[in-house]
Amino acid sequence: MSKKAAPRLAVTDLQHKYGDRPVIEGLTFTVRAGQAIALVGPNGAGKTTVLKCIVGAAEPAAGKILLDGLPIDERAEAVRRDVATLLDDLDFFPDLTAAEHLDLLARAHGNSSPEDLVDTTLHDIGLLPAADQLPGSLSSGQRRRLALATALVRPRKLMVLDEPEARLDTGGVQWLSDRLVEEKKSGTAILFASHDPALVETVADSVVTLTPLP
Amino acid sequence: MSAADEPVRFDPSDFGAIPSSRALRSWMRRTRRQHADRSFWEIFEDAYLVLFTLAMVGATGGNVVRHLNSNAATCTSWTCGQLTSWLPWIVIPLLLATTIRVLLAVGPVSASRATGFWLLATPVNRASLLRPAYRLVIASVTVIGVVTGAVIWALLGEPWFDVIEAAVLIGAVLVCAAAATVWAQQTTRRSRWALRVSDVLLLAAVIPAVILAFRPGEDRFGNQVLGSTFIGLDARHELVDTYGYPTLQFGEVRDAGGLTSGQLYLLVLCAAAVVVGAALTFVASRTLDRLGRVSVIAGGELLAGLAGAASSLDISMLGDVIAGRHWRLKGRVRSRRGRGADGAAIVHREFRRILRWPRRIAVAFGLLVVPYAVHGAGFHVLVPIAAAIAGFIAVRPMLDGLRTACRSTGLVRALGWDLRELRVVMAVVPGLFTIVWAACAFPAIGSAASSFAVAAAVISGTVRHASARPPSYAGPLVTSPMGAIPPGLFSQPARGFDLLVLCLAPVLFNLSSLWVVVIPSVVLMLMFAVRPKTA
Repeated sequence: MSKKAAPRLAVTDLQHKYGDRPVIEGLTFTVRAGQAIALVGPNGAGKTTVLKCIVGAAEPAAGKILLDGLPIDERAEAVRRDVATLLDDLDFFPDLTAAEHLDLLARAHGNSSPEDLVDTTLHDIGLLPAADQLPGSLSSGQRRRLALATALVRPRKLMVLDEPEARLDTGGVQWLSDRLVEEKKSGTAILFASHDPALVETVADSVVTLTPLP
Repeated sequence: MSAADEPVRFDPSDFGAIPSSRALRSWMRRTRRQHADRSFWEIFEDAYLVLFTLAMVGATGGNVVRHLNSNAATCTSWTCGQLTSWLPWIVIPLLLATTIRVLLAVGPVSASRATGFWLLATPVNRASLLRPAYRLVIASVTVIGVVTGAVIWALLGEPWFDVIEAAVLIGAVLVCAAAATVWAQQTTRRSRWALRVSDVLLLAAVIPAVILAFRPGEDRFGNQVLGSTFIGLDARHELVDTYGYPTLQFGEVRDAGGLTSGQLYLLVLCAAAVVVGAALTFVASRTLDRLGRVSVIAGGELLAGLAGAASSLDISMLGDVIAGRHWRLKGRVRSRRGRGADGAAIVHREFRRILRWPRRIAVAFGLLVVPYAVHGAGFHVLVPIAAAIAGFIAVRPMLDGLRTACRSTGLVRALGWDLRELRVVMAVVPGLFTIVWAACAFPAIGSAASSFAVAAAVISGTVRHASARPPSYAGPLVTSPMGAIPPGLFSQPARGFDLLVLCLAPVLFNLSSLWVVVIPSVVLMLMFAVRPKTA
């Protein structure tokens, strides 16, 4: 029997409430290095809330969330260094171009010569022609691509993505799918919420189905 | 098959004559009234509250202005004379430049997106549809011009007849500017020219301010408050005689009707300005149909954003809306590679980001005139506070990056930095600029300790202001006559200014140099040690 890697992320008996109304109860799962877990379910089932609890953007009512065996704390340096996220709370500097955003993020994470990485990422994600554009002049799809790119120019052991396929065209979803598979191969653990069955089927090793609580 | 199941066919005979805009507006008014969810008495109560507040504020403000007018009238010193003689040449171009810039930013003729989409795209007479907005602009500019002119001239201690004349003159001049901006709004090229004119006017305002600030004077270091009475020459005459500089202060030669020759001259000028203003207003109103839908809607959207910011009493958000629009219109700039890694990269990027809008840097250095002008006018006690407020206005836009970061948890997470550390790193460049700015203002401020206090006040105030989180409507709310509001709403406008005043308190209370240095240092350390709360 092969020895299994320790879970990168372990969620145990997670509970969350909005006021008195419970939205998540007793949710348990683990994500190992090189593994992808998809959260699926209808709108309002709590997929985004689970992701927010994991990255520290929401406070769980009960339960444990461990990153590499340690309780997750969004202020901890390890979490800031190792967890790449894509939630709906990402805003951009209005006066920095798409290329400058990626350049800044890569450098802020300690990469002193990210030129090639930035150019490659912009090319891969289809934003090279818009490299000099300011966020206010990007289309919503382009902004989504830029948001996705921010997770790709930084070091990461775990990716937490909320509907990464949203607002991408067909080619974009295909690229995303291939890219996430590559990420898995390089040992990154991925947790993502999605409404796209094809993406889930291609990328996810396991699926966690959430249903709205009464 | 019933008629309802048949496809709808276009039949030109279904459409009659194009309605007049008056008929359309009256129909809209009627429809809105049918949908109204408030009774007449509820509306009356709100209107009563607003009118009562305006009356209270007007009466209190009017009383204060009247009191200050009689105090200022007693000041006959050389410095008071200098101030009253030069101020018109600073105030009028400054007001004109500001009016042109603000009006062009919001239109000046604007309409909501809904009006733009549903009405302006129809063949209904566009000029008539836009005329109410145009009238509102002219009325607002008139009121603002008259009130501003009246208050400034009253504070200078002028006789009430002169105050009224100055108010009418400024109101009329601003109306001319408003009509001109409506004409400029019609093409991009005209708008660009209008903006250039406003820049020239700004420069024209700065020149007399600089002259006033650096003019040597016999009483400059002795005269501390406006209410002080000095015996001396009336500098108004001296200024005209000595330097041949025309002023809006006028001689004492009275004609038979009891008016001085200056007042008579100003009366003629007022009448001419009113006639020109009325003529321009009429001519501009005939050209409203030449306004493009895009320019009209852009202003409407900006106003809606500003109204949103004003409703949450968030001054920073007003700046965000304007800056956001600036960058949206710019659209594309040449990307610049960063330098270094970690904190150094963020500092370098902030430096480049600030350089990207050079006008802000020019304005920031231009604001150095304020402490010198206050010093030159003899209000020595007020120099540190004036310098700190001017420094605050100069430095705050340089912290827009920090503000964006503090309002987006996602961005902070993407950068991978703790917000407290990020705040320190992002404040480095504005902090260095503040030091340079305070050093430049040092001759006016007078002492090294006070200059340090001013710099500390500016940086702590601006950083706190920029990193303030917006009022949250998700938490507990308190009831008020305005409806349910978050508890932090009313402290929002004061955020940042509280630390500014705290840092300057030892200077204002004339404490020893030790306290003047220690208290701002402690404030700075505490401010950077506390982790800011995110949105």
